Amino acid sequence: MSTAEVSAERAVSVPARPRRRRKLFENWWRHLVGIVALVVSLFPVWFVVSAAFDHSDSVSGTSFWPNIPTLANFTNILHNSVPDKTFQGHVDSAFGRWYLNSVVIALLTAFFTVILGSLAAYAFSRFRFRGRRTGMLFLLLIQMFPQLLLVVAIYLIVLNVGGVFPVIGLNTYTGLIVVYMGGALGVNAWLLKGFFDTIPKELDESARVDGATPGQIFWGVVLPLALPVLAVVGLISFVSTLNEFAIASAILQTKSHYTLPVGMRGFIDQQYGQRWGPFTAGALMAAVPATLLFLSLQKWLVSGLTQGSVKG
Amino acid sequence: MSTATARVPAPAGSRRAAAIPVVLAFFSGPVGLVTKIGLLSLSNGLAVWAAYVLVDHRNWVALAVLAAATGLIDYVYLARRRTPAAKFLVPATVFLIGFQVVPIIYTVEVAFTNYSTGHIASKADAIRQIERVTLEPPANGKSYTAAPARDAGGNLVLVLRDDQTGKDYVGTDERLTALAPGTVTTGALGIASAKGYRLLKGNELFSLDKTLNSFVVPTAGGAGIRMQGLSQAVELRPTLRYDSRRDAFVRTRDGTVFHDNGEGSFVSATGEELEPGWKTFVGTKNFGSIIHNSAIRKPFLQIFWWTFVFAVSVVFLSFAVGLFLAIVLNKKGMRFRRLYRSAILIPWAVPGFLSLLVWQGLLNDDFGVVNRVFLNHVGLNVPWLFDGDWAKVSVILVSFWLTVPYFFLVSLGALQSIPDELVEAARVDGGGPIQIFRRVTLPLLLVAVSPLLIASFAFNFNNFNNIYLLTSGCPCDSAGGIAGSTDILISYTYKLAIATGKGQDFALASAVSIIVFLIVASISAVSFSRTKALENLA
Repeated sequence: MSTAEVSAERAVSVPARPRRRRKLFENWWRHLVGIVALVVSLFPVWFVVSAAFDHSDSVSGTSFWPNIPTLANFTNILHNSVPDKTFQGHVDSAFGRWYLNSVVIALLTAFFTVILGSLAAYAFSRFRFRGRRTGMLFLLLIQMFPQLLLVVAIYLIVLNVGGVFPVIGLNTYTGLIVVYMGGALGVNAWLLKGFFDTIPKELDESARVDGATPGQIFWGVVLPLALPVLAVVGLISFVSTLNEFAIASAILQTKSHYTLPVGMRGFIDQQYGQRWGPFTAGALMAAVPATLLFLSLQKWLVSGLTQGSVKG
Repeated sequence: MSTATARVPAPAGSRRAAAIPVVLAFFSGPVGLVTKIGLLSLSNGLAVWAAYVLVDHRNWVALAVLAAATGLIDYVYLARRRTPAAKFLVPATVFLIGFQVVPIIYTVEVAFTNYSTGHIASKADAIRQIERVTLEPPANGKSYTAAPARDAGGNLVLVLRDDQTGKDYVGTDERLTALAPGTVTTGALGIASAKGYRLLKGNELFSLDKTLNSFVVPTAGGAGIRMQGLSQAVELRPTLRYDSRRDAFVRTRDGTVFHDNGEGSFVSATGEELEPGWKTFVGTKNFGSIIHNSAIRKPFLQIFWWTFVFAVSVVFLSFAVGLFLAIVLNKKGMRFRRLYRSAILIPWAVPGFLSLLVWQGLLNDDFGVVNRVFLNHVGLNVPWLFDGDWAKVSVILVSFWLTVPYFFLVSLGALQSIPDELVEAARVDGGGPIQIFRRVTLPLLLVAVSPLLIASFAFNFNNFNNIYLLTSGCPCDSAGGIAGSTDILISYTYKLAIATGKGQDFALASAVSIIVFLIVASISAVSFSRTKALENLA
């Protein structure tokens, strides 16, 4: 519904009330479907919120409203002081660290893939050179091979390369980021090439007439024009990196190095009876910013997603 | 960069045109040049450092590759007026080759080997290891109280006192020599001092851990004295002897010969196998075992079938419901439309890994919210994740919950792009609502959505997270075997190679990966031939 429509409706709302009520009645079955969809979509969220603010630690204590409201779950998981029910002391967790790791790794991956991807995309979009067709077919083929399928080879390569260059070996962020970059480049370059094709070549031409080099045209003309698109591709890359579990769990080995998916799974696995409270508090803190970001950019995302990439 | 430039998605308008020269000037001045020189020096600096490390490791092949790559990169950026395309392609190409192409080639290579737990090292390493691990005390083997020490020349030695005779010795890696009585004194913790020798203690001792483990004082009959722990040593001799002429191991006790079986192991005539084996090429054995070995074939076929069922049901259900919701809620002037829309999008916007872990809690069969708060009131208690068939249903339902919003959005967009005139014309021609939907709306919609259906199928075919974070592929058969009832091919691969308590089978996992790739590639090929992707190649 456009804003114009909404305000028009509002403007006439007083005299039109009977008509409106009739409309609500007329569409009752649509509302029924809408309400069912709303309930099904939101009930897990509701219970997570309820559990996060509840005194109980177990999934068995979760109910519609918190029984004994408390903020303890939030403070416990933030201070890594979740009491361990089986042994004395605290559960070995590092929520803040996982959070930071995830955000930094996803941001760096998104940033570098967008830069490197758009460089390649620009070459394919603007230049005619020997091997261009082969290069693009190659890119098309590469992006069909999901990196997830290569997890075994990647693990072995990182393991062996790490023996020579520990900086990109197992349990390093740099190792994980370069691996992610290799995996995301194919898809992103392909997506970006499509967008660059829609930017008129006349803009390049006029800059070239003014004496600009290809590099200057790229950084100065094309990239600024494509900024919204870069943001979309960057966001898609950010979100998929944020959700990535398999490769991260293969490469990262110690608790303090984990990303959120690896850390949170390790935290809650087989412990739903004991750590549900702090887990939901952590999940809430991780989900809210990501969800708001996603929803606010949803309009632009759809256009990007329909071009080829799919998010779970 | 001006914000005006950033905000406008499609090029048009004069404000941006005004901004371009400013941005251009910024990049054409010294800033651009400095950046270029800086980045090139960085890449060359990294290369020099890497070369230094590689020389240290005597890895000449890698060094040659590194030198060639660095030379090529410098040539591309420094040579005058070569094709500018290369300058744009090099950075992405480096990463694509390093972390996508090389892994693909390596996957193919590993798939034709026997690379797995017990077959990791080279043959030479395996022989050395077999000689080391198959040790036993000789008939009247001796044990010693021992301490590592350095002699006057700084060489590593073992100071030893025979536990039975009380005589003292010093052992080098060449021979055992008797010491004069009184040279060595002992205390509560073993050997306390030895005249002429400096006993190793603390950090120095720990830093020599590896050296000490392989330190052997040779004695008669091929036996040797080795440290056991930090204050004991024993005399041991190998039970197997490697005969390099025959390339076989011979057991000293009974003369049994273990031959190289061509598949990375020494095996005797009766089938007894020595451990460890080594990594070697075994041809198509892995692919063959998927077909012929019933212990692998049965779970594989089950998983194969279930992967298709899973992907098809998720895509079909999600699309059907997403489309239905889009049609129902795409009513102009309907109240709360935005509210419903936002609510439906939530499962898509929340990071998937969190939703999946949360669902695992909600579906817990004893304590989960779904059973306890909802179903128990109507007398039901569903074993959502603990029964094989129900777990399959759960995995599909949760994936459906996660995927509906995507198809809702896509369908909404597609519906709104169908011109009203077409629907109007059909109505004028006397079509009923159902007829219009079937004959006009649906065909037009499918044109737009079918490539996305195929893409979504390919995505769900490898939807590792939705399986692994919800059920870990389980419930798993406790009788053994890695495969669980909800495992799809990709999670099975992962468990074979990485997350398993039963040894890692990299080779079989790689073979399965290749099969998955062939399936996904054929699906994608069909999809691409039907869309415009290939036309973009022009």
